[in-house]
Amino acid sequence: MDAVKSYSKFIKKNMERPEKVKKLINLGLFIAYHYVKFFRDKRLPESFHFLNKYSIKCVIDSLNQPQNSAWVNIFAPSEFLIAMDIKPLFIEAYSSFMSGFFIEDCLIDAAESKGISNTLCSYHKTFLGASELGILEKPRFMITTSIACDANIPTFRYLSKKFGVPLCIIDVPYKYSKEAVSYVKKQLQELAAKLEEAFKRKLDLDKLREIVKTENKTRALMREYLNYVGKKTLQTTMTFEMYMLFASHVFIGSKETLKFYEMLVSDIKKAPEKSGKSVFFVHILPMFETNFKQYFNFGEKYHIAGSDINFDFLHEIDENDPFLGIAERLILTSLNGGIDRRVSRIRELLEYIKPDGIIQFCHLGCKQSMGGAFVIKKLASEMGIPFLCLDGDCVDKRNNQEGQNRTRLEAFLEML
Amino acid sequence: MFGGGIILVGYVCKYTPVEIIEAFGETPVKLEPDSKSYEQAEALIHSNICSFAKGILENIIDNHIEEVVLTSCCDSIKRLYDVLKERVKFIYLLDLPRKKDPMAVDLFYGEIKEFIDAYKAYIKRDFSKEILAKILENKAIKGKRMDSESIAILGARLKEDVVEKIKNSCAEKIINLTCTGEERIFDVKPEGDILKNYAESLLNLTPCMRMADDRNDLVNKKFKGIIYNTIKFCDYYAYEYAELKDKVDIPLLKIETDYTDSGSGQILTRVDAFLESTGIKKIEKTKAKSGYFAGIDSGSTSANVVIIDENKNIISYSIVPTGPKAVESARQAFELALKSAGLKEEDIKAAVATGYGRVSIPFAQKTVTEITCHGKGAFFIDSTVRTVIDIGGQDSKVIRLDDSGNVVDFVMNDKCSAGTGRFLEVMARTLGVSIEEMGKVVEKVKEDITITSMCTVFAESEVISLIAQNKDQRDIIHALNKAVASKAVSLVERIKGKGKYMMTGGVAKNKGVVTAIEKRLGEKILIPPEPQIIGALGAALIALEGK
Ligand code: SF4
Ligand code: SF4
Ligand code: SF4
Repeated sequence: MDAVKSYSKFIKKNMERPEKVKKLINLGLFIAYHYVKFFRDKRLPESFHFLNKYSIKCVIDSLNQPQNSAWVNIFAPSEFLIAMDIKPLFIEAYSSFMSGFFIEDCLIDAAESKGISNTLCSYHKTFLGASELGILEKPRFMITTSIACDANIPTFRYLSKKFGVPLCIIDVPYKYSKEAVSYVKKQLQELAAKLEEAFKRKLDLDKLREIVKTENKTRALMREYLNYVGKKTLQTTMTFEMYMLFASHVFIGSKETLKFYEMLVSDIKKAPEKSGKSVFFVHILPMFETNFKQYFNFGEKYHIAGSDINFDFLHEIDENDPFLGIAERLILTSLNGGIDRRVSRIRELLEYIKPDGIIQFCHLGCKQSMGGAFVIKKLASEMGIPFLCLDGDCVDKRNNQEGQNRTRLEAFLEML
Repeated sequence: MFGGGIILVGYVCKYTPVEIIEAFGETPVKLEPDSKSYEQAEALIHSNICSFAKGILENIIDNHIEEVVLTSCCDSIKRLYDVLKERVKFIYLLDLPRKKDPMAVDLFYGEIKEFIDAYKAYIKRDFSKEILAKILENKAIKGKRMDSESIAILGARLKEDVVEKIKNSCAEKIINLTCTGEERIFDVKPEGDILKNYAESLLNLTPCMRMADDRNDLVNKKFKGIIYNTIKFCDYYAYEYAELKDKVDIPLLKIETDYTDSGSGQILTRVDAFLESTGIKKIEKTKAKSGYFAGIDSGSTSANVVIIDENKNIISYSIVPTGPKAVESARQAFELALKSAGLKEEDIKAAVATGYGRVSIPFAQKTVTEITCHGKGAFFIDSTVRTVIDIGGQDSKVIRLDDSGNVVDFVMNDKCSAGTGRFLEVMARTLGVSIEEMGKVVEKVKEDITITSMCTVFAESEVISLIAQNKDQRDIIHALNKAVASKAVSLVERIKGKGKYMMTGGVAKNKGVVTAIEKRLGEKILIPPEPQIIGALGAALIALEGK
């Protein structure tokens, strides 16, 4: 830990010299990668160890080849990128890593002093700050969607203007209808054309179909995995639950992701029967919050029983017409559309998982999620599962009232 | 206004098919929250969503509004819909596309048709396209739409009465181009399906930040000045402000509002100061006169008066704590100053009032904002000053001056008390020490603690837990002084302030805070002999010679 702190101090000292900071960040990621590779935490299931390496590598790859990379947000249809061998960098991941390096405060301050709203989600502020400070090399393309939250479109539009990089916005309607599907499908076709133009290479439709096939296989494994979550106890940490976003979203369709879920299913089959208390998380997990870390990371008494964001879509999609299939997936993810849709997905998951408690950590700035907290609380009480809603920040550690949260969290856990 | 026989249909977004509601013979009203608190709303929805959305919720409950039509504008509104669904008789959320190509138009057209069906079923009345056509005819485009000779209010929606007040406060032409400020005028094609054409023209209104289109056409207009509004917990508009700030060579002022009443006084001060500093609003220069001149600064914590003579010598001054009636405290301070100068009211040739209470001072002939006055006063005391940091009881501001002492930029803190004298007072009470005690702590004793929360309420609970952890009281005080300093420094950074610095206002007497700011800035700060009277001094100078 102390090594990380001095590394962070050193980066902060050099903030005025973006070239140097860039190198330092790459170096940090490089070390992290090799550290994970050679010093495997024995408590960790093999699948997560694999995912850990893969996720860091994905970030390194895109940072190292900016001209072959695209900035995206977590809900972007990155199947196209994988099919064209373009390296996506999703901003939420980058920001999490920066928080892991303890430099998020500097980046956030940079964004705010530029005039960006201080109540904006810190995943976005951190990334915007990094681009203000010039420590990010501009990519060749950007993609965002309107799914999940307000921040996506304006953040990307701002970045696209700032760097002069083409941006494709996919407007995903809130309601599902045939017309809505055609509307999105057409935008996906435009996206493909724009990508071909920007990267000067062709999209191979067969390859795209292949990827969608892999994606379907991966989702079948997700569903299989869900059958065991309620019965077994897989040792994990909040960080890995969040790493799963690489696999359940941006890199779904890749061979590595498929492999991860295969390993995950086999790990959970081997795992011991459930013991202790399990907690299901709504939306995202505060992986840098000390109290949570203490109780949930490899926790003996309490463990993490998943989060709905990793299971926001569980169906098969059309393999013959991938444009149509992906369009439907985008509209039907449980994070798009009214709260009812999300509530019914959470209900489904709760029925599978049967957790002992539910926590919604209301990440400051994430209005779409916190706005629904009372509705989810109602669901929890209908199902007779204790529910806790806490406020804080998953990236900006300064916004966590750890003293206050500690009492609430402990009281809740005692209740289970 | 609400209730009675007519049924009102509440809406908030300009993309709402208002004319359809009218064609049904109903009365659409644009909801404008006016509640002073969000008590009922916060029982139903998380408090950190947008303050406008919370205000709407409060308003709908207060006024028993039973029909509401929303669009899928933003996260806060979407969740508002989810919460309202079971609480009002009729509610509809139109899915609003972000693009305006033919497919998007089709999609929106479909939405509008579904809305018509839903509303028809609800009020059991028919809808007629002919009536719609008539209504639209009356709202057809006439004359030119935008006037570049004016000052534009851009950004997020701004309360109607604040817009009115801004309009009344200056002679300039002000146009409201905020997200919903635009007039409802349409250019609906007569041929073909009128509903579809209507859907298309709605989507073609000036795009708001929520849309996918960029707004270059709007923001690149040559306005005389731009007042840019953002709303607390609304994310959309700050981006555009951040962009404009660097680009536009047009005077630009950012204001942040929420929908409770309390802030409008401060907003007007900012707007006034902005108009003064950019020269849009002129303060007349008067020829040097003989006699005595007074400046009255009616602030939220104290009323300060300075009397000078024609040669700019300070004859006397006074500081009186503001009582429940600001005017009376100002009067008292004025009389005190007169008395110690040995003068009578008739001896004063001219008096200028500044500060929060400035408009209600009957014995002043003119009012000028405290921004201009602080700049003026500070520069008079030391003409090498380029940045003034003023931290008073309830607010703090940083003012940047050019080489001739003119205000070139300024920021004020948000409405909350973070980083002000009030913040220190609350903390002093929590710690059980006096403000004077706190001011003496200039260094850490055992360890360097950092208070992370800026918000007074959160910081207070942090302090309580530090006390519980048995931390050295002086270290806690040191941490608090640093917290105030860091807020002030962030304001300095926002306007790229540079030396020399002068600090004014009550907190300038607090050695601890001053030292902490100096450390952060890496530079000494000038502290005038009586930092609380600089605003009044500036006002007196303006009384003597104009700006
Ligand atoms: S945490 Fe919420 S606001 Fe932030 S990026 Fe994710 S969905 Fe958007
Ligand atoms: S931001 Fe746009 S969509 Fe939202 S209320 Fe304003 S005009 Fe309507
Ligand atoms: S002010 Fe912003 S966040 Fe609030 S309702 Fe309007 S667009 Fe949404």
